[in-house]
Amino acid sequence: MFEPQTMSKLLIAASKDQLEAVVRELYRHNLFHIEDFVESDPKGLEGCKIGMPLPGASESSSDLVRIRSIENTYGVSSKSMDADETKISTSAVKKRIDSELLTIEKDASALSCEKISLENMIRDYETRITELKPFTVFPTNLADLKGFDNFVVFAGLVSVPVSLGVPNEMFIGAYEKSNLLIAVVSRADAAVAERELLEAGFQPIPIPDGNETAGYLTIDYTKKITELKTKLEDVSERIITQSKNNAAFLVACDELLTAEVERAQAPLRFATTQETFVAEGWVPADTVAQLMADLQKVTGDKIFISEVEFDPVEEAVPVEYHNPDFSKPTEMLMDIYARPKYKEFDPTILVSIVFPIFFGFIVGDVGYGIIILALSLYLRKFIKEGAGKELLVVLRNASVSSIIFGLIYSEALGFALPWSPIGINRHLNIGSHASGAAPDAVLMLVLTAWIGILHITLGRALHMYNAHRMMKPDRHRSKVIFGQFGWILVLWGILLVLWSMFAMPLMPDFSGFPAILAGFNAVGIAGAVLLLVGIIGIGQDSLLELMELPTVISHVLSYTRLAAVGLSSVAIAMVTNFIAIELIIEPQMASLSVVGVILILIGVVVFLIGHTLNLALGVLGGALHSIRLHYVEFFTKFYTGGGKKYEPFGKLRKFTEE
Amino acid sequence: MAVETMTLEVAQATAVGFKAIGAGLAVGLAGMGTGLAQLGIGGAAVGATAENKDMFGLALLFTVIPETVVIFGLVVALLLLF
Repeated sequence: MFEPQTMSKLLIAASKDQLEAVVRELYRHNLFHIEDFVESDPKGLEGCKIGMPLPGASESSSDLVRIRSIENTYGVSSKSMDADETKISTSAVKKRIDSELLTIEKDASALSCEKISLENMIRDYETRITELKPFTVFPTNLADLKGFDNFVVFAGLVSVPVSLGVPNEMFIGAYEKSNLLIAVVSRADAAVAERELLEAGFQPIPIPDGNETAGYLTIDYTKKITELKTKLEDVSERIITQSKNNAAFLVACDELLTAEVERAQAPLRFATTQETFVAEGWVPADTVAQLMADLQKVTGDKIFISEVEFDPVEEAVPVEYHNPDFSKPTEMLMDIYARPKYKEFDPTILVSIVFPIFFGFIVGDVGYGIIILALSLYLRKFIKEGAGKELLVVLRNASVSSIIFGLIYSEALGFALPWSPIGINRHLNIGSHASGAAPDAVLMLVLTAWIGILHITLGRALHMYNAHRMMKPDRHRSKVIFGQFGWILVLWGILLVLWSMFAMPLMPDFSGFPAILAGFNAVGIAGAVLLLVGIIGIGQDSLLELMELPTVISHVLSYTRLAAVGLSSVAIAMVTNFIAIELIIEPQMASLSVVGVILILIGVVVFLIGHTLNLALGVLGGALHSIRLHYVEFFTKFYTGGGKKYEPFGKLRKFTEE
Repeated sequence: MAVETMTLEVAQATAVGFKAIGAGLAVGLAGMGTGLAQLGIGGAAVGATAENKDMFGLALLFTVIPETVVIFGLVVALLLLF
């Protein structure tokens, strides 16, 4: 909680004859993040060399390339496939690779060749048809235009008909917005004719081959294309059948061979001597005992494993999140910004709680909430892996929160629910449903400013905590901590001064106290002192930071977007309802006519389009503004991130088993 | 003259109208400011993200920074109207 998984650094050494067993066991556990051995590293192990790949690597790689190429032809990918209930055993897969792979490969390449050649032929005919198109206005056999010894034929497009100064035979026919011109002149006059034509804006086009008229050829080629397309469909169907038959086997092969290749290449990341190898890496601390025991078992105790001391701040320790289940999907939002450093405060849990609240506060509508909830649940059928899936879970939580806020605000698709809003009223005076009471805009603005004040104070406090944990206990650390405390003092100092001068809703009112000095009362003076001490605190940490002082106010005010964006979304929803129902549908309902029914349908369309747009805006706005408040206003106060991702060596088997 | 015929009701209605104009200007002009600021940042951000997908978070962060301006406009408009 609140910090990444604790890691242990392991050093594994054994003689080379144990190499394969050790690699296999590490791969199976999928826990060991290998620290790559670098020969030239002066701090590294002396006199060691990078290891050689395990035997069999090149065979497995070449098989894998073949499998991937077949998968490509058949459009099979392990990501889009669900794991079967019964996994195929590795020995069965190996047997089938030996006996069947060649046949499957031949089938695949034959099908793929056939498909490509059909596609090429279709494309070829299509090009020919395009070339023939201008000549369709020319009614004679195209072969008649070729094969002259003493004449030259010019064919091309001109915008206006031309007449040549040399003896010639000419055809001109209107083609689209231009004219097709075919001129036959004697070879002696060709140069003169060409110049005249070019001056008239003549664009030459090649004369297509063929011993028929262009019109006839076009029909002929179109017929051939139709035939080829039928054949292509047939081939595509055969590819789909083949792909269905072989998909399970192919993904199993892929998984098995990928594992073999990855295992075979692992020694390239180890340090080796003539007879031994040394592997360094990271594992989560709570798995060390199990991994050690298993490694000792497979090598018959012929292995040396030790936990190495390390500096958690200086060394690039791989970082794995350590969060309760409900916060796990939010890690995706963290990764977009940056993964925390090892030993840094991990704010994932805070984000996973606050983000949905912000989202709900903005959207706050039962109708929209239910639609987003349904969408996020429905889309999970299609998005099964990766960041998209996590995003949907985050969206689901956010939608539940907006339903709850919708109940509080008493809103559903911009309509009021049968009870009055609890605490905060966002209903605007639009249409006949106007209650007369204006929305509590000021109340919401102050409330959101409070959220900002607390969120930012928390952020600054977390920076102090991080400095305390991650920096060496010296003068510099005290400076940083006091600097951050200074920011908090400035914020609250300004607040005290404001409270001493103005009475605001939801804020303490100290404006009634008598003035003591220069118009300030006691609270105001206290605030001014805090402000001054705060500025000194910030300045002693870094003078340049003083330039950022206005952000104290602007960042707090930035939180008022929670109120503003929400109110604008309510306004759009209510205006949509007003236009669609009160302006279009209701007047027609009073006296139905044929035109009236059409108008009612238009009203329904307006209603649907308006709410769809507003929903899209609401989801985008709600999510983007909420996450932005975290990234820009909250994280910049304490969070640096930039931790290295924990990528254990190995893979969880999906399709095969030992 | 308009000044002589201005009753209390007319004056109040005019005040409400001016407030509405002010609110509209606050949102509209602030929106234009934000748009101009995001023009450059957004273009560069999309370019950077296309080169390197890891930049997405940072690019998004930079792009939304000027958004605060329009929010201030919106807040001022809300304060004017209510």
